[in-house]
Amino acid sequence: MPDGADGTHDDAGEIGRVLRQRLPRHAASAGFRTSLAHVLTPAPARRAGPPAWLAPAASALAMALVMVLYLAPSLPKVAPPDPLGPWANAVLNEHARTVLWGQSRPDVVPAVLPWVMDEGGVLLSWVFTGDDKIQLVNAYPMYLEGRRGIELAYQDADGHTVTYLILPAPTLALPERGRVQIDRWKPLVRTENGFSMILWKQQGLLCVLVSDLVSESDLRKLKEYFIKVRSSSEPYPHS
Amino acid sequence: MADERFLQQALEHLDALHNLAVYLTRNGSEAEDLVQETYVRALRFSHRFEPGTHLRAWLFQILRNTFLTFYRLRERESTVSENGVPEGDSPMFHDAPGADGERSGIHMDLERALVRLPEEFKTPLLLAEVEGLPLEDVARIMDCPVGTVKSRIFRAKERLRGILKDYGDEPTSTGDAGRG
Repeated sequence: MPDGADGTHDDAGEIGRVLRQRLPRHAASAGFRTSLAHVLTPAPARRAGPPAWLAPAASALAMALVMVLYLAPSLPKVAPPDPLGPWANAVLNEHARTVLWGQSRPDVVPAVLPWVMDEGGVLLSWVFTGDDKIQLVNAYPMYLEGRRGIELAYQDADGHTVTYLILPAPTLALPERGRVQIDRWKPLVRTENGFSMILWKQQGLLCVLVSDLVSESDLRKLKEYFIKVRSSSEPYPHS
Repeated sequence: MADERFLQQALEHLDALHNLAVYLTRNGSEAEDLVQETYVRALRFSHRFEPGTHLRAWLFQILRNTFLTFYRLRERESTVSENGVPEGDSPMFHDAPGADGERSGIHMDLERALVRLPEEFKTPLLLAEVEGLPLEDVARIMDCPVGTVKSRIFRAKERLRGILKDYGDEPTSTGDAGRG
């Protein structure tokens, strides 16, 4: 072992000798030696076989899987979010207001319609005013889901109120599921909370025909009203 | 089993590793933690050990790296002087082998002096002089050239001699570390 610079060789060597001879050595205690061996050796032992908890855990897991498979059909299903949900609720509320507090004033409709179109932001180049089975009885501007629109109230011969709502919804896409072929159109038909709705898009507008006609025969009537309204009305957004 | 044989060989160096760990950490329980971590790492990376090379040096290298990674930062946070030497010269080893009187005092002063050396000086000094490792192995452990190791050992001895002189314990030419 070289000891460095000349002249200090002996002193440096002496220091080394003193260190070797007199510096205490701190050997590992027996307790530490035992615990260290214990810490380091279990790993290979564990590899010899599966751990004791594995069998009951696997059994419990298998039982849980069987239970899930057995109960799965009866578990409540999480429905995907309905993009039309808020619209449908708002439409039903508006229809309920019309049924409860709307007035039947077919005589004022021609006079009030320009004001309704102006206030509602929806123009009607053509409008179905009625026939022997259903009559346009009133028109209102409305505010629905943060948008202006117009509402045309009809009443059929049996006294059912049929509300036709039109409002701009350029980004709203109607789902394919639930669409029904009616004449040459394929609108969406929904039945909700005792009401029927027929929804379609026209010129970027959401159009809804809503009524309490829910039975099969009544729904057939509503579809007839839809054909009349759809073919005889031409709404477009106010530019 | 290869692991068991490797562990058995590695454990033959336990006392040497523990001794260095005590001088590095200056704390018995921390030294044991350091040694344990060293063995855990050695086992984990045993596939990297090249048979035929010096297992003892390889273990010392792991121990020192582990110390530098986990312990030295804490040491610096606690007590460090401006030159990197731990401050205070209170004895660190409460269980230092003390026979009686003068001999016990020599042990204490040597340990106190060693404590005041920076790790860069202390480790090569202990490895070369106390553990008797060849300079090439020390250089590998310290991750520096052999020339640097020689220089550090020389400077370590110089510093040690200076510190011992302060204590009045400078070793005499006859080898007796008489107390002044």
